[in-house]
Order: sequence, then C-alpha cells, then structure tokens
Amino acid sequence: MMALTVNGTQHRLEVAPETPLLWVLRDQLGLGGSKFGCGAGLCGACSVHVDGAVVRSCQMAVGDIGERAVVTIEAVQEQPGIADIAAAVVAAWVQAGVPQCGYCQPGFVMATIGSIATDRSQSREAVLGQLSNICRCGSYDAVREAVGITLDRLRHDAP
Amino acid sequence: MTKLARRAFLISASVLGGGLLVGAGATAIGLQRIAAFEVPLDGGRAGFGAWLRVAADGVFEVMVPHQEMGQGIHTLAMMVAAEVLHLPLSAVRAVAAPDAAVFANPVMLLDGLPMDFHDDGLLHGATVWTLDKLLRLLGLQGTGGSSSTRNIEPAIRRCAAVALDMLRRAAAAEFGVDEAQVSAQNGVMTASNGRAARYGELAAAAGLLRPRNVDLPPLTAGRLIGRAVTRPDARPKATGVARFGIDTRLDGQLYAAIRHAPRLGGRPQTARLGPTVLGVRQIVSGADYVAVIATTFAAALAGLDGAEIVWDDRAASNLSTGDVEAAYRAALDQGPTYARRWVIEQAGASARVGGRAVTARYKAPFLAHTTMEPINATALVERAQVTVWAGHQSLSLAKLIAARAAGVAPEAVEVRTPYLGGGFGRRADLHYIRKAVEIAMAVRGTPVQTIWTRAEDLRDDVYRPAAMADVSATLGDDGMPTSLTYRIAVPSVTDQFTARAMPAAKGGLLADRSAVDGAVFSPYQLANRSIEHFSVDLGIPVGFWRSVGHSLGGFFFETFIDELAYAAGVAPLVFRARLLAAAPSATSDRAEVLLQRLASWDMANRLPIVAAGSVIGRGVALSECFHSLVAQIAEVEVTGSAIRVRRVHAVVDCGCAIDPANTIAQVRGGIHYGLSAALYGRIDFENGAIVQSNFHDYRALTLADAPEISVELVNSNAPIGGVGEIGTPGIAPAVGNAIFAATGQRRRSLPFTL
Repeated sequence: MMALTVNGTQHRLEVAPETPLLWVLRDQLGLGGSKFGCGAGLCGACSVHVDGAVVRSCQMAVGDIGERAVVTIEAVQEQPGIADIAAAVVAAWVQAGVPQCGYCQPGFVMATIGSIATDRSQSREAVLGQLSNICRCGSYDAVREAVGITLDRLRHDAP
Repeated sequence: MTKLARRAFLISASVLGGGLLVGAGATAIGLQRIAAFEVPLDGGRAGFGAWLRVAADGVFEVMVPHQEMGQGIHTLAMMVAAEVLHLPLSAVRAVAAPDAAVFANPVMLLDGLPMDFHDDGLLHGATVWTLDKLLRLLGLQGTGGSSSTRNIEPAIRRCAAVALDMLRRAAAAEFGVDEAQVSAQNGVMTASNGRAARYGELAAAAGLLRPRNVDLPPLTAGRLIGRAVTRPDARPKATGVARFGIDTRLDGQLYAAIRHAPRLGGRPQTARLGPTVLGVRQIVSGADYVAVIATTFAAALAGLDGAEIVWDDRAASNLSTGDVEAAYRAALDQGPTYARRWVIEQAGASARVGGRAVTARYKAPFLAHTTMEPINATALVERAQVTVWAGHQSLSLAKLIAARAAGVAPEAVEVRTPYLGGGFGRRADLHYIRKAVEIAMAVRGTPVQTIWTRAEDLRDDVYRPAAMADVSATLGDDGMPTSLTYRIAVPSVTDQFTARAMPAAKGGLLADRSAVDGAVFSPYQLANRSIEHFSVDLGIPVGFWRSVGHSLGGFFFETFIDELAYAAGVAPLVFRARLLAAAPSATSDRAEVLLQRLASWDMANRLPIVAAGSVIGRGVALSECFHSLVAQIAEVEVTGSAIRVRRVHAVVDCGCAIDPANTIAQVRGGIHYGLSAALYGRIDFENGAIVQSNFHDYRALTLADAPEISVELVNSNAPIGGVGEIGTPGIAPAVGNAIFAATGQRRRSLPFTL
C-alpha cells in the first residue's frame, strides 16, 4: 500500500510504485481531467502540479512522489495561493474561446496557472515561453490572447 | 425572402406528447417514411419535428447529427435555431441526433463526386438535386468534408421557421387576436392586447395546427448569427469536466493495451503472457494485433510489455518510402499509357500548344493525424446487444462495423458518442471500433476500453498518402499560360476507404476527385488544361486527412502557379489576378476580392528588417475548397538552414460566417495543422515498418514556433461554404513561395528543408 495526497485528500493505493501518476489519477482515483496524449512527456496533456511545480504526470512514477502534494485540474481553482490565478486563467480561456476539441486544454490550463504562479509580475512573453504543450487544433493564437487577458485581470485585481 | 415549397414539410398524423411533428426536407420518399422523422420522446417532451423539440424544462432541443470534434457544430446549430425562434442561446441546447435517414449527410458525399460545382447549368442542377435525393436515401450519417453546417443549417432554419409560425398561430387563437398582432421575442409570444405566453405553454395547442408555407428567414447577420458567442463547451473543456471517449468509465470496466505487428501485413503467430503482472486478465490475438486485458490500463501495458509475442512476417510488406517514390516516378515517366489513369478535367486540346514551356515535379510524404486524444474505443458485448462508446466521424458506419465484428445486426448495436479529442479525418476510418469489439468479445458481459498508445496510434493510422506530381505549362508571348497539364501519382483514398468500410461495395468505378483536388475545377479557368490522376496503390493504408486531396493539390498547383508568375516576370499576386480576370465568373470575382485584400495587407504591413545573415520574404496562395475561398500570405525568415514562419494573414470568403470567432479559430487551426506538416511532417517506412513513433520524431507546432495568424472575413453572401479544412491547403504553398521570395530557392518537396 502506498500513500498519495491528491487535491488535499490522502489516498492509500495498491499500485506498483513505477506506475505513472497519470494512470493512478485516471484509472484509480477517477480524476479524468488529466489526459493521456503521448506517454513520453512531449505534449503536456497530462500536466498537474506537484508541490506547486508543473509536472507531466505520465513521466512521474507514483512511487517517487512521497509526501508531496498533487493538485489536478479538478481542484486547482480551490487551491490556496493560486485560486485567483486559476479562476482568472479559466475565465480568460472561456472569454478568448481557446478550446476547440478541448482535449489538450486541461493540461494547457494547468501549465499556464503553474507558470504564472512562479512570478505574477512576469510579462506575457515570459509566461508563453514556458508553455510547450501541443495542441493539434492550433489554438495558439487564442492561448496568447488568453494569457494576456489573465495577466491584465490579475494586475487589475491586485491589492 | 424565399417561399418554402409546400412539399418541403411533412405533417405527421401523430401528435407526440402534446407537441407537433414537423420534418424538413421531406420528399415523396420522405412522405413514405414518416417513422424516419420521429425522434424518441420521453416524458414531458414535445416534438417539433425531427430537428426540434421542447424539453420538460422549456428548453428547445435541436438535433445535431454531427459529432463535436472541435469545429463547434453544437454551438452553430443552437445559434441558427435560436436566431429564427427569437430565443436566447441559453434557451436552446444541442442533442445528439439518433441514427435515422433524415439525418444523413448527402453534402459530404456530393462533394466527392467528379463534377464541377461551379457549373450553374440546368442539367448540372438537376443532376445534383437527383443525387442529393439518392444519397439521402443511403442514410449515411457522417461528419467530415467541412460539411456539418452546410448539411444541417438549412433544415434547422426551415423547421424553426415553421415551428415559430405554428406557435404564433396558437398564440393568436389563444389570445383572440390576428396573427399579425402577435410578436415573438425571447421565447414569449405577446399579443397587441397585452396577453403573453411562453413557447412551452403554447406547444400543445400548436400541435393541433397544420404546418404551412412561411417565409424562410435568410441566413444573414442577426441577433446571434454573425456575432461571436461563448461556446457552451468552452468552460467544461477548460476545466477538465468535458468527457471524451477515453474518459468512459463503466461498472466493472476493464482496459486493454493493443500492439500491432511491427511490419504492415504481419500477423501474430504466438502470443503468451509473460511473468505475472498484478491485474492482468488475458491476452487476445487479432488479425494484425495482440492485446492484453487488465483491470487498469497501466497493468495492461505492463502485461503487453512482458508478453512473449512472435510475429509471422511471411505476408509482411517489405516496402520502404523510396519504393513508393520509385513507383510514382515510374507511373509519371510512363505517361498517358499508364494503366490506371483518369482524366478528370480536359478543356480544349492537350499541351500541344506553342509557347515557352515550364515544367516541375513535386512530391509530398505520407502523414499521420496524431489527434490529441489517442485512438480508443470502449465496447460491451452481450448476448444480443453490443454497446460502443467512442469518438467517431460516422454513426452509421460505427454501427455497421461494430455489428459486423460481433456478428449481430446493426439494430443490435448502440453507439454512444462523447466529445472527440480531434478528428481530422482519422476518426472516419473505424477499424479501431472493430478491434475494440473483437477484444471485448473475449470477456462478454464486461465492458473493455482499448487504448492505442501514441506509437500504436501512429502505426495503425490510415495515412495521408504520399504523392508525386508532374505539372507543365506553356506561356504565350504575353506571359499568360496557353496550356497546362497536371498529372498526380497517388493512391485513391476513396477506393481504400470504401473497401475497408463497405467490403461489399465496388470501389474504383468512378474517378476519385479527391485525388486531383486543389488542381481540378480551379477558380482559374485555364485554357487547354488536362488534369489527370495516375492511381498507384502499393497497399500502404491511406485515409482522409484534413482537407484530403487539397493538402496535396493545393501545394503542387499553387506552387506551380507561383513558378509561372516568376517565369512570366509578373508579381505573384498580380499574376493570379490576371489569371482570374482572363476567365471571369462568379467565383473568380469572389477570388479577386480576396487577392485585393491580401495586397492591401501586404502594402500596409511592411517587411520587417531582419538581422544580418537572415533573409525574409512573403509568399501567397489561393485556395478554393469545400465551397469557400481562402487567400493567404506567409512571411518567412530564413537563417542558414532554419525556416521560421513569422506570421500569416488569411482572407476568407465562406459566404456567411455564422459564428465569426469560430470561423477564425477554424481557419487558424487549419493553417497550423498544415504548417506542422509543411515544416516537420513525414511518415516513413523501412522494410514495411513505420519509422516514426511519437511527437519527438513526428513533430507538431508548439507556441514557440507557431506564427501569429490574422484572419479577415469577407461575407459575400454566396451560399455558405465549409470552414473546418479550408486553411490547410494554402499554407504549404504560401510558405514555399515565401522561401523562394526570400532565398531564390524553389522547394518542390515537403516537408521543407534548406
């Protein structure tokens, strides 16, 4: 049995320690928002936060996580410290009409939230420079717009 | 305003749930098939024909027989219904249409026929009308060919107009006033005497009335049409709530990992499970694959990795990419005596006209689709019933193929369709549903989800075919072409698709127009032209890939037009405008407008200065496909061997952009898809085995490489055209032409390398 903290809840799991986190989230914890895209850390559809850092969950063995806290798309809007960023990113994504097929978008949103959270005063270009997710629908122009909207909103709302 | 023909409507004898049944598009055939117009109604719903019904909560439900794969068809259908019914978008929702003939897609099939749709003659019109009716009879539901909106928009508009008329008359009777004194707004009928009722309250009374001729509202900008709306699926998709096929979760569900023979045509000889893996249940063999079933996908994958599999390669292909090219070259070199050759379009004499000759040979590679959601399907096989949960591009074929795999009648198959994590033509070829059903048959009564890893997704794809083309022309003294011959060597996607999906059907009887799309029936009506298809099929599976033949012909033809422009010493935009002006038509008029806008953009946006050692240039391309026109200009910076596409501007005429923001998104998406292919895309085979296996060696654009794409919409009010694929064909030639402008080096092979 292995202990794993996901979205603030501690789970005890019967799982081989080398199992990628992605499959534990999807198949054992019922958290389907993290998507399987490449299984090789190339596309970012499976992006989650591990102790605040953006991680491609298909590349992280569940046995290597230890005490660290995993946050997925399902609960990112309730996470203390980044809830406002998460809400702003999601709102901007809707406003800019980013999703087409939508499959890569939870990963894109998680990567964007994580990137902004490292430094809220970053420029739009600095945030975009950290995003290497693949979207085959070609939503990149809309992503650029949405990141701009997010940063404007966060700065406007800042105390 | 168009008067609706009386026969376009069908009065049903049956009043359902207090509502009324109205079907659009009814013909003599339709009248005999009233059942086809009925949609299942459960408690509290009122039916307004095949396309519209009112749910218990008062929301109008519009039937959508097309799958949502990113193109926004659910939203577009809702917008059209809401516009005509004077409802807010929130009072309408999209519902998946059942499998019924009324929901067929003849538009997609018509577009594939070798006919020139520019022809506005009586005979052509009658032929199209007849074929439309025949194809409708086939009842084939499908999503593809940039046809969803074109297929269903007129029917929804008609049904909504008739439903509104009936509601208005019911209100007039109820309130004791003339119809003219009832106005509709926001889901409420209000009479001049101040009385008012919600549509839902009037539905039952409306059901007692006969539908009648009404003025069909035109498809022009209105309250919703022509304005950007927020797609209802945007938030669920951004927050991970939206469910795709791969997210299907059922009680007791098992998972399967699949592995295909490394070489095409290989078969499993023996397959045994290796050392025990927790959760692994069993191993299954199919014609060209082995699958391991387990309680989790991770366990299934571990079980497959540990399995001892011996492949029987006696019938395996030993083809390599070079062999395919050699076969194409041989066919083209043989010329008009090649055995499988179709001349699709021949205007005037062939190239026996005097003048300066220009010739070029082009080639393009096989391509994979790499939808972001890897191929998967979930199947439950019971004694007399098969249920499939999967993204697909044809409900009719999904049922047919699942039924054939399980040995049951199609009526015994139920297919449930969640969102598609990308289609691009990949999910039109449904052999993955066959395989998922075969695997689930090993554990009858238990649902099994089979997932293709990315490597398997690439290995088991049906590829955009590689192709080679010889194009030649003669130029007169004025620099204008006096003849043109276009010969393409490529397998027929349509023949292969038909053979896979419907083995009983006889393919190859008709010329495959998609093989010559991009060159055939061009908006440039060139004199003395010959457009020929040399069908060379070495057995590598090929299928529909975003814009299909246009992805090849668009590159070959528009690059050649550029070569002609330089040979004539005329600026590429001007040369194209002259070609259009030489043979004026409604289409050439529309195309000229786009070229003018492109020229204005080019003038207004000066070429930026680049660093020493870099060169910069712009290239253009004009495409006509799926009844829309696109002109695009690409700005490319070349540094040594590095090609960087800095920005792209596209001008689009799709007749009417129902949701402009979505149209722009689709065009951008089409351009990005084509650009990934133009810069990186190639699938190779070595000794019958695919070389590429994931995004590291089959790259896709990311933010860092993606140019900024601006899109300008021209609403010409021409009949509405498709938008999902129209950005793709023009980007490769625009970039290649820009590389030439920047460097003087002509690149005739994809992907581009310097």
